[in-house]
Amino acid sequence: MSDADHMDLERHIATALHAPLGHAASARARDAIMARVRRSVASDGMPVRRPRPFGHRTARHSLIGVALAAGIGSITTLSTLLPGAPALGRGASGSAVVASAVIGDSVVATLRDTLRLVRLIFDEPRASEVAVIGDFNGWRAAGTPMQRQGADGALRWSVTLALRDGDHRYAFVVDGTRWVADRAGRATRADAGRLYSLLRVTRDGAAAN
Amino acid sequence: MTDDRAIIEQVLSGDAEAYARLVDRHYDRCARVALRIVGNREDAEEVVQDSFLRAFRALGDYEDRERFSAWLTRILVNQCRTVLARTRKRESVFLELDSRQASFAVPHEPPEVEWPELEQALALLPPDQREAVVLKYADDLTYEEMSRITGAGESALKMRVQRAFARLRGLLQEVPSV
Repeated sequence: MSDADHMDLERHIATALHAPLGHAASARARDAIMARVRRSVASDGMPVRRPRPFGHRTARHSLIGVALAAGIGSITTLSTLLPGAPALGRGASGSAVVASAVIGDSVVATLRDTLRLVRLIFDEPRASEVAVIGDFNGWRAAGTPMQRQGADGALRWSVTLALRDGDHRYAFVVDGTRWVADRAGRATRADAGRLYSLLRVTRDGAAAN
Repeated sequence: MTDDRAIIEQVLSGDAEAYARLVDRHYDRCARVALRIVGNREDAEEVVQDSFLRAFRALGDYEDRERFSAWLTRILVNQCRTVLARTRKRESVFLELDSRQASFAVPHEPPEVEWPELEQALALLPPDQREAVVLKYADDLTYEEMSRITGAGESALKMRVQRAFARLRGLLQEVPSV
């Protein structure tokens, strides 16, 4: 082939690859996709825009840096704060009790979005897995997994969240099936038959409210 | 696309049915890419359906700094790779060709709809070269976008496209003039 032939061939290939398939977006295909979308909404709910703590590349680096620092400092901070938090122990129904504390200070993702690192601790030694769900993760069924801490006898679960100031609704999902509200807070409120709690995050700290 | 963003906002505001408009806008492009990468319509349709569903579920994570079409294509390519890995042990879905002997006709003018010989020649390319040439020419992506989608460097992608064309030139022969 000559160079001109090569160019023609390339043009032919490019044109052919770019050409419509001919069977286009059939109504059947769209209906099949939308049927699966509706089933997804019924089982997992609607997608919700998530907060953008990592909205800018520079902010991402800042947040990771502070998160690491907060992780190191959390042992001291938590040991200081926990005695003042609601006492750990079993609730009336045998459910677990939670403590929450701000473990990191302000993290600036943008000039106007200040995030605070909040650690939730959940006391449920019998659980195999625990996740926290709430406004901040769209109430997705999978939630945000909590990390196991301690040995069998004193097993607890913890997770660190980056949250904006304000009230955040949340609950815990134990072993993928059991929905548990935070009993450390004074108010748990019914919402569509579910119990959830409010976590109030301010510059002075975080507390189940 | 601005219209894509408006539809996405509508979906995220609670209108799931608005997503059908995104499907309409992008289905044909996704089907074209998926078919050329996975090589058969059955798998391609599965890939496209799964990709749209995954995109819907992850819509809250979409950031409009990136074109929605490129974001969707990244999901699509991952699904294609999953299907290809699953079917790797199956017999080729294309012709049982000995690639050393294969030769296909090239039409004088680009075909408007289908060019089966090209599909067969594409099937003989290594998967990474086929993926690169399809993304470049079936989806009009820049090398920068291709890099974000595939995880490969831009220079590596350019090399894959060059090699793909060299191989296709060897496979596709000019039809003698009548």
